[in-house]
Amino acid sequence: MGRFATALAITGILALNAPLAANAAPPATTVQQVPPEAAEPILGRSVIDAEDKSIGRLIDVLVDADGHPEAAVIDFGGFMGVGNRKVVVHWSALRFHPGDPKHAILLEMTPDQIKDAPEYLSRDKPAPVVIPAPNPAAEPQGAQSGK
Amino acid sequence: MTPTGWPQPERRANRALDLVNFFLADAQTGFGPFVAVYLTTHHWTQVDIGFVLTLGTITSLVSQLPAGALVDAARNKRLVASWALCCVVAAALLLAVLPNLLPVTIALVLHGVASCIITPSIAAISLGMAGPLRLGERLGRNARFASIGNGLAAAVMGAGGAYLSPRFVFLLTAALCVPALMALWAIGPGTHATSQTTARMLDWTGVRRMLTDRRMLVFWVCVMLFHLSNAAMLPLAGSAVTMRAGHLASLIIAACIMVPQALVALLSPWVGRTAGTAGRRPILLLGWAALPIHGVMLALLPGAWPLVAGQAVSGVSGAVFGVALPLLASDLTLGTAHFNLCLAILSLGMFAGAGISTTVAGAVADAAGIKAAFLMLAAVGALGFLVVWWLMPETRPTIERPTDR
Repeated sequence: MGRFATALAITGILALNAPLAANAAPPATTVQQVPPEAAEPILGRSVIDAEDKSIGRLIDVLVDADGHPEAAVIDFGGFMGVGNRKVVVHWSALRFHPGDPKHAILLEMTPDQIKDAPEYLSRDKPAPVVIPAPNPAAEPQGAQSGK
Repeated sequence: MTPTGWPQPERRANRALDLVNFFLADAQTGFGPFVAVYLTTHHWTQVDIGFVLTLGTITSLVSQLPAGALVDAARNKRLVASWALCCVVAAALLLAVLPNLLPVTIALVLHGVASCIITPSIAAISLGMAGPLRLGERLGRNARFASIGNGLAAAVMGAGGAYLSPRFVFLLTAALCVPALMALWAIGPGTHATSQTTARMLDWTGVRRMLTDRRMLVFWVCVMLFHLSNAAMLPLAGSAVTMRAGHLASLIIAACIMVPQALVALLSPWVGRTAGTAGRRPILLLGWAALPIHGVMLALLPGAWPLVAGQAVSGVSGAVFGVALPLLASDLTLGTAHFNLCLAILSLGMFAGAGISTTVAGAVADAAGIKAAFLMLAAVGALGFLVVWWLMPETRPTIERPTDR
């Protein structure tokens, strides 16, 4: 029994090592330095409107199965935390400027356009995404907007 | 200065207590819903923010009763309050300087415990200074200075947080604790410990007697219903303003916060005096009646600026509650040594009501709209009013009743 078990163990070890012996090293990852002017962190950044007024902060991103950002959650409005609402806007309405020293994210909508959007409350329910109206190429993609 | 009625040191002690209330209210303003906004500016995720806020709330909940018992047993209430204030300073500085997960968790836990100690200490000092028969006026003054402090702090911190930096709010909070400490020590010895509020050890028979007192149970239910109705009104009104007002929303919400505070500042001393002369019941009825009126006004008023008028009614209920809570606690524990424990138990009712209020109102607003949520809150307020009307007895101590002073 002992000899049989040992033979089995040695075969097992050899079998495991065989593919490793075939590829000498695991695939190498490389490290690339990305300057902040090229790509910036966005969570918690201030969002401004066209008149350079701060309207809220970007607090979360909704990403689809292909890894493309669909929409951003913006914490909007309020005073000292009272009256803050989480509104979801379509990704196409946002403009990013990593090279800008203020790192502001521009929302191409006015507060009046998003102010009465339904609030984003639960991660498990459909997110009410506000889609910029005048662009004829924008297709509403299974999202609810407005009331 | 010649004393007129009150001896000279008492007047200075009273002024000092006014200032304590003023600076303390300033210091508490930053620790409300603003913490979530502050942490967002430091790139925190929503999950982490939710975690630390929940932990802070649980800490406060769990510390209520032990803190009340602690303040009851402490012989020097000012010392206990000072230690708690130092914890608030530490919490504010941690938030301002080290906004990372562990320091912020420690800061919110510290603040949770400290706030459970400070409120009963101030009430106990007030009781020690004024005595059970004149407590109403003293509490009215407390509420006046606290609301002025709150209103001013909201204005300054709101502007500073927006134009300077969000850190400013917590640096200012830490700075304001210094004059609070100085005012606390300026109150002077001797006025802060009476047999009413000092228990040498936990007296279980006394506690059991207090818990089975029918007036206590009824008032606990009234307190719980008050906050069940009231707590969600300001956040919902703020949401409604944000939804209706666009650019001016911050300004209108600031008005929604400050107008009731101004009314509390105006009305509280009158409330305190009237509770002494006309009795507690008329005052309770007034304050609890304002709740359904507030809810209905918020539901029916259109636009954004008119909501400020609805918020003005909330000033009446706020003024009444601010005075009534410690006043009734004193009435209910007359002759015993459990004033602060009673306050703590009633505060638990506050917590329970407020917690359920925001959750349920949020769910109703989500499902049926903000108007429906306001009407639901108004209905709860009406229920509270009915409980006060039918079940709450008068608790004002009469001169004939023996007191322990």
